[in-house]
Amino acid sequence: MEAPLGFPRLSQALPTPVEHPPAVGRVGLRTLGARLQGLLFISPALAVLTLFLIYPAYYTIRLAFYQSDFLFRFTHAIGIANFKNLLTNDPDFLDLSKFHGVNILRELLYKSDGGALLNNLHWVVFYITLSVGFGLALAVLAARVRYERMVKSVIFVPMAISATAAGIIWLFVYNFDPNIGIVNALIKPFHHPVAWLGRPSTVNYALIFAYVWASTGFVMVVLSAAIKGIPTEIIEAARVDGAGEWEIFRRVMLPMLSLPISIVTIWLFINVIKVFDIIYVMTGGGPGTSSRVIAFTMYEETFPNGRPGYGAAVAVIMLVLVAPVMVLNVRRFRSERVVT
Amino acid sequence: MKRRSVLVALAVIAVTAFVSAIAASASYGGKARHSAKSIEVFSLWGGSEKDAFLKVTAAFTAQTGIDVKYTSGRDFITEIRTRLAAGNPAEIAIVPRPGFLGTLARENVLKPLSSIGLSTAYMKQNYGPAWISLATVGGKLYAVPAKANSKSVIWYRPDQFKKYKWKTPKTWSQLLALTKKMKAKQATQGFAPWSIGDGPSQSQWVLTDWFEDIYLRTAGPAKYQLLFSGKLPFTDKSVVTALKTMLQIVNNNYALGGIQGILGTSFVDGIARVFEGAPKTPHAQLYMEGGFVGGIALGQINPSLKPGITINDFPWPTINAKFGRPLLGAGDLAVAFKDSPEIRQFMKYISTAAAATVWVSTGAVISPNKGVSGSAYPNLLVRNEAAQVKSAKVFRFDGSDQMPGAFGDTWGFALQNVIQHPSSIKSILAGFQSKIAGQWGS
Repeated sequence: MEAPLGFPRLSQALPTPVEHPPAVGRVGLRTLGARLQGLLFISPALAVLTLFLIYPAYYTIRLAFYQSDFLFRFTHAIGIANFKNLLTNDPDFLDLSKFHGVNILRELLYKSDGGALLNNLHWVVFYITLSVGFGLALAVLAARVRYERMVKSVIFVPMAISATAAGIIWLFVYNFDPNIGIVNALIKPFHHPVAWLGRPSTVNYALIFAYVWASTGFVMVVLSAAIKGIPTEIIEAARVDGAGEWEIFRRVMLPMLSLPISIVTIWLFINVIKVFDIIYVMTGGGPGTSSRVIAFTMYEETFPNGRPGYGAAVAVIMLVLVAPVMVLNVRRFRSERVVT
Repeated sequence: MKRRSVLVALAVIAVTAFVSAIAASASYGGKARHSAKSIEVFSLWGGSEKDAFLKVTAAFTAQTGIDVKYTSGRDFITEIRTRLAAGNPAEIAIVPRPGFLGTLARENVLKPLSSIGLSTAYMKQNYGPAWISLATVGGKLYAVPAKANSKSVIWYRPDQFKKYKWKTPKTWSQLLALTKKMKAKQATQGFAPWSIGDGPSQSQWVLTDWFEDIYLRTAGPAKYQLLFSGKLPFTDKSVVTALKTMLQIVNNNYALGGIQGILGTSFVDGIARVFEGAPKTPHAQLYMEGGFVGGIALGQINPSLKPGITINDFPWPTINAKFGRPLLGAGDLAVAFKDSPEIRQFMKYISTAAAATVWVSTGAVISPNKGVSGSAYPNLLVRNEAAQVKSAKVFRFDGSDQMPGAFGDTWGFALQNVIQHPSSIKSILAGFQSKIAGQWGS
């Protein structure tokens, strides 16, 4: 295990804890000076971080415990009332009243009216699975064809489009009028046109699919690069040993791709917890409130509803959801560094 | 050692420079930048509505030499709130939703008109009592009514009506009968009776207008006022009655594409289903929304439409004879966030009949100003609408616009739930009531 800076000195001191090393004298002063100097050098970065990250985060977390006015002032301390209200008394954010079956997990995925938090759970499950699945499949398949570059650039194009523009494009795709919306045109011979974005039961999946379209390219490019990094000797050796293509993929490539896949998954997870723009453009959280997600609720409460304290509480919940994944990510990076 | 101290010194200088730069930029924002004579007016119009308004500001600039910078944002509540929080609001905003302006007035960020040189007596000369009371919060007048709309009209194609020998209905039962007649033709002619566009991305206000027109006619103007000022709960029986009346038309049977079609079609697309490509058979025959539908149909959808021949409207039919034909209207109000001689001049200017005449002659708006003559309106559709607004004996303002904050949207979403789950009207209303209770200001 690699220890952080400054750590070894302490561990060396551990076996003989009785005697303190001399604190004063030339050596002590020197290290103090060096430390001060280090501090001075990182201070611009610290100042920027404090101003733009630490202070706003502190402000938001504090605000979450207040009932605030539209000027974001700390008008009225109310303890954890915002959180309590969000989690127990706001069906637009979390509504468990419709879930009472034996198989809660299945119900959570099947029913789509559990509020913003559960909508976001749908996003996490389907968006990540589909993006990684499509991205991986495309990366593996593209590596086997001659026109790989062309395929990859075409699939990467949506990454160059802003989510707003992607939203507008998909508004056309899902349009109710079969003369405009290609999805309804395709199902026209078999079915009446469907208001994909107008029904609570389909709206979340329609949005998720549009967003998958926009992110698959990124996943594909990252995984494609990782595939290029797998030494051909290993694959050839497997082939010599008589492994079929599927076995090579399953037992050789997939394990070697596990790190890039997990990194991409974490990136997608963070992305999906803060998803907002495409929903704002395509449905405005509707119909009703059925396509709201966590970030959308934060916006809706903070600005249109003018309740920044309540919105801040939503932001804190978002932070709490993302934090463990970030920690995991950092840990993973550290352990990888030791291995290589 | 020497080199090190130089580095330290450099670092100190860098930090000092950085901090002072922040301090400097922070103090910069507070300074007034209005040495030049100009003001900023914020609203939410783009396109033809914006062009029409720019004609008004151009006339103002020609008269006074004060420049008007027009900025717009569709998401006006968010925009106004963020700019207020940053301490940098536009000087003047012209926005709908008196409910939101009431919220702002109670937060003490608006200048009362009397404090910027527009006396209540002067305002009463120019505007009718309904408008004055709309712009009043807590006994003080805060806003100049800048434009008005009738929302009590139903749009149709006179050529189609002639072809099938239909008559414009005067009562709700006649409207239902007409709807049935149209439905009978659907199988052979391929059109649905109604097009209703309440679909994705910000069209949920269309159903709120349906509800309001019907509530006004089934429960009466007095109850309407109580309901939309928080004095009558939404769980009241009268609300259920009005919603059930609404569902007689707003349902799978009569709307183009059924409930799916209503939720899947945006407001403008809905208009197109009736008025696109004038000569051929429309997808639907009737569309219910305010006077501005005419401008959108002529301007954006089908410029070859002929007012009175291929596009026209009839007033909302009566439902309960006792309440007759009250008018549901909407409008935009101009408010000032700051005070300066230029702001005073502009607020005064838009309250004059002269400014209103410039504006209405573009055909884009109806003015609530009493001094504007009917001949100033350039075409039949706006002239009719202006006459309807002017002659209305009972006038009620769009209720969802009077709801506090963004509850107008929340109400629209609740109505989307109602049309999908008519059997749970009561629980939907109870849910909405529990949210809005306590949010109405005094």
